[in-house]
Amino acid sequence: MSDLHLPIGMAALRGDLSNIVAGIERRMPYAAVWLSSRQGQRITVDNREEQVAERLPSAGTVVTAFDGATLHERATGSFDRKSVEREARDLVQGVSATPGFSIDPGPERRGTFVTPMKIPPASLSTREKLDRCRDLQQRLRGLDPRIVNAQVSYLEISEYAIFCNRAADLGQHIQRVRLGINVIVAGEDGVRYDWMSKSATGGWEALDFSDDELGATVENAVALLGAQRVEPGEYTIVAAPIVVGTIVHESFGHGVETDMFVKERARAAHYVDQIVGSPLTNIWEDPGYPGGFGSYFFDDEGMLAASTQIVVNGVFRRGITDLYSATVLGIPRSANGRRQDYSRKAYARMSTTAFARGTTPVADLFAQVEGGVYLEKWSSGMEDPQGWGIQVTCHFGHEIKHGRVTERMFAPVGITGYVPDVLGSITAVGDDWDIDGGGCGKGHKEIVPVSSGGPHLLLKARLG
Amino acid sequence: MFEALVDALRLRTDLAAWTLRQVTSRGAQLYAVPVGVEARRGVISERYLVDVLRETTGPDGTATCGAGNTTLLPGDDIAAALDAASLMAGLVHNPLHTIPARADLPEVALADPSLQADPAATLEDAYRRLRTAVAEHPAVRMPTAEFFAEEETTHLCNSRGIDARQVATSMLVEWVLITRDGDREVETFVELSRRRVADLDLEAEVARRARFTVDLLSATPPPGHTGPVILRDATLAAFMNGGVVQTLSSAAAKFAKASTWEIGASVFRGDVAGDPLALWANRRLPYGTHANRFDDEGLPAQRVALIRNNRLLAFAANQRYADYLAIPATGDFGDIEVPAGQSPATALCAEPHVEIVAFSWFNPDEVTGDFACEIRLGYVVNGDQRTPFKGGMLVGNVLDALADVQWSAETGFYGDYQGPTTARFGKLTIAGQ
Repeated sequence: MSDLHLPIGMAALRGDLSNIVAGIERRMPYAAVWLSSRQGQRITVDNREEQVAERLPSAGTVVTAFDGATLHERATGSFDRKSVEREARDLVQGVSATPGFSIDPGPERRGTFVTPMKIPPASLSTREKLDRCRDLQQRLRGLDPRIVNAQVSYLEISEYAIFCNRAADLGQHIQRVRLGINVIVAGEDGVRYDWMSKSATGGWEALDFSDDELGATVENAVALLGAQRVEPGEYTIVAAPIVVGTIVHESFGHGVETDMFVKERARAAHYVDQIVGSPLTNIWEDPGYPGGFGSYFFDDEGMLAASTQIVVNGVFRRGITDLYSATVLGIPRSANGRRQDYSRKAYARMSTTAFARGTTPVADLFAQVEGGVYLEKWSSGMEDPQGWGIQVTCHFGHEIKHGRVTERMFAPVGITGYVPDVLGSITAVGDDWDIDGGGCGKGHKEIVPVSSGGPHLLLKARLG
Repeated sequence: MFEALVDALRLRTDLAAWTLRQVTSRGAQLYAVPVGVEARRGVISERYLVDVLRETTGPDGTATCGAGNTTLLPGDDIAAALDAASLMAGLVHNPLHTIPARADLPEVALADPSLQADPAATLEDAYRRLRTAVAEHPAVRMPTAEFFAEEETTHLCNSRGIDARQVATSMLVEWVLITRDGDREVETFVELSRRRVADLDLEAEVARRARFTVDLLSATPPPGHTGPVILRDATLAAFMNGGVVQTLSSAAAKFAKASTWEIGASVFRGDVAGDPLALWANRRLPYGTHANRFDDEGLPAQRVALIRNNRLLAFAANQRYADYLAIPATGDFGDIEVPAGQSPATALCAEPHVEIVAFSWFNPDEVTGDFACEIRLGYVVNGDQRTPFKGGMLVGNVLDALADVQWSAETGFYGDYQGPTTARFGKLTIAGQ
């Protein structure tokens, strides 16, 4: 347990958790305690200023009691034993167990898990990290005279979590890192920008930028000065891996979070074992995916990470669960019960979600397009689990003509359509693969780190 | 602990300035699902946020400064935390800037006494009201709802003499209405955020959304359309709070050269065909969701005239960027306020148009203003005939849209927007079929 290096308060409280759980379970059929501490650092460097700041930390305790129908929780921003014990006592006052659902605490499991890293952020001083950002910014700022600002931003998040119920005593330290560049260029009609980021669970070894990557980002920003709006209509498109990841995330990621099944908000609930896409469609979700920005070892409800095959050869197989929805629906758990932080409840949430790699050389995908659009970079997306609509906005796209990408650029480009139609139109899956990390909300709140990815795809969709 | 922190900060000779905020909160949450109440939660927290400023020397010997920060929980090691913040600040070489000085603070209505008295009971009552309201509309049902209530108290003190307190409340209610016709099921998602319960007209909102939900069952595919588009009420508020005006009028974006707006110049890139634009960034809006007495730096709430007659009058600037650009410090942006227009809403809606009542998410590019947002529900309106449609995208540019808009004479309050209830945009495009 010592290699977790828990914050002092968490470490001191950990030994009392099994007693707190046992005390609640004298009156309630199920209890659990979750401790969480998230600390981090942000560094930004641009042409005009620098900032080094602590990321707003979050640290606290959640005590959970289930009475057979309702989860009762007390969340406190503290690891003080007396106050946590008081919250646990208050929690069960006036609440009594009722016949209803029975929560399975899971098999006996104990363990301590730490993100593997070659260059842990903690092994570098703040000055060294700042200097690395300064060096990257220096490489970037002079690449084109139209650059009016070149921004570098670094983020590290160190997450410690302890979960305890009567069957589990688990601890983990997740280290997430992200390094991004943003280039602002000016032209006669205003400013445009492009960005690129590297993110991972891991250390600085995941954060290298090649000269080609810096050059491509600047090139895209400059090209955006002359970008046009795409003529609205249905197009043959080649979607890049991170755009594919976003389409997957919004459709058969959010769309199969089983808390939405309980809430009768997910159309997918009626499509288990039915065709939802072309036979080339394979989608998976894996909290244990090595290096994924959204990955972890166990979820916030004590379920150990394992992969879920969501769509297999175009057929929807199963969703991703949190404890409550799996209990109410009577379906197997997956390790997807996640909280934004101690102040929020757990929902069924994604971790690392992706479209599986295919076999078609990427060049062959483009060769099949007489006229169409190459969608290279996403900027936002929104789910519609009940209506199965898609909204994915791409920062830009390129025209494809006679199998080749031209210099004509469109920006921004919105993708819309009916999910089964979009997935059903997939006619080729690239033999490449890439992944991207970021933050994901449930609607407009409950932000958690996730990663999404896939290969290049050839498909049809409505653009505007 | 607050006093201990103040004492420790006053003793630090390495710091040029400091700000301390104690933020305590207590709240309740309720989550309802078809089988009952999924969860009831109580949440409490207390934290101490410290910002420090140090004088540093740049690589070329010029006088510079650096900022650092730290957050403490009760019982944390004060000296170690302040050392960490000071270390951060000492590494940075930025142009010199200050922190706010003491100034008179306005009284701004921020707290709902009923919510303060018992957040959990307030939520239970809202849940009861919502169920009763939905029961009035048998065509729809409500499978899920979420309720959040919180009281937050802030005590701010800084090295230039500010010592101020504020108490604010907030309440967020989300719910879903569903209706079915055979195998076909459609939903409407509603999200309301206010500072006080009295501003949540749940009954009226349920009635409005129930009508939309039923209309979704008969929605047609989206039309192709380039012409007048009307946005009203919460949809218009979401359009105005899409982030474009907030970003382009921010001194930070100006300093970073992401905004090309200039004081005294038009905010538009072409001719203005509609009503002239006037707009305030208002932190004094009573019960505005972004209103406050003072912001995180301690700058007093202001009602800042940002745009008048299409021209930029001021940037929204915190102290740092105000110093950098030599402009007045206004503090955080706050809520958007737009004055009443000249035309009755009925007149704006009289001619044929398309009305959008729900987007998947209205999220324009905050720098360029361009958008392409999926439509969850819209209507093709011709006289008394309203034909619902779903899907497709509204395509355009926020600034171009605001350069060709007519505002209604009727105004309303929507939490983060106070202004006309109705806007008729002269020419936007629906990417439909």
